[in-house]
Amino acid sequence: MKIKILAFGIIADITSKSEWTMENIQYSDELKKHLENLYPRLKSTKYAIAVNLLITSGNFELTDGATVALMPPFSGG
Amino acid sequence: MSDKKRKNVFKEGAISSSFIAEAIAKHSTKKDIGAHSIFLGQVRNDVINDKEVKAIDYTAYNEMAEEKFHEIRETAFEKYSLTCMHIYHSLGRVNSGEISLFVFTSSKHRKDAMEACTYIVNRIKEEAPVWGKEIFEDESYIWKQNTL
Repeated sequence: MKIKILAFGIIADITSKSEWTMENIQYSDELKKHLENLYPRLKSTKYAIAVNLLITSGNFELTDGATVALMPPFSGG
Repeated sequence: MSDKKRKNVFKEGAISSSFIAEAIAKHSTKKDIGAHSIFLGQVRNDVINDKEVKAIDYTAYNEMAEEKFHEIRETAFEKYSLTCMHIYHSLGRVNSGEISLFVFTSSKHRKDAMEACTYIVNRIKEEAPVWGKEIFEDESYIWKQNTL
């Protein structure tokens, strides 16, 4: 299974990319752990996760084709 | 969710004073309006670690932001007795001293327009997936943090 990752703001700076796909990741905690291993700066960065446009909380299952957005605190206006 | 036509909130670059003036002028034909309330967010030249902010570069999660703006609009119309409402937010680079957020509410009496305007601005600051990058004179930058 495949998921699409979108990174915004400072998260995209840390990962050096704003959009990519990942495979065989089933839960959001697994995704976080995986990303924090690849990009240790994420460990000290605050961010929310939205799946298919909805902000989620806790550990949740990711379905095939899901769009997962990594969003630091908003600063519009 | 209603099927009211979605309005395009984002504008590339700064929101000009002529655009704002025109938006006000357009309402002269709506004679049941007795009050307008306007919020203008302007890019401030904060000094951070001895460097002055010269612009903010805005990016957004467009798809989610459009949903959020729509939801904020709908809720404001339910909560307050409004004749009309307009929201514009900049994307891309806006220099200090220029306008990046324009919220415009109109009602029969002032209370609804004023309270709705504050309500909408607060919700945008807290809930719209938009990020501002504060750019300094030497083109270095930091990511902006909103004070809620």
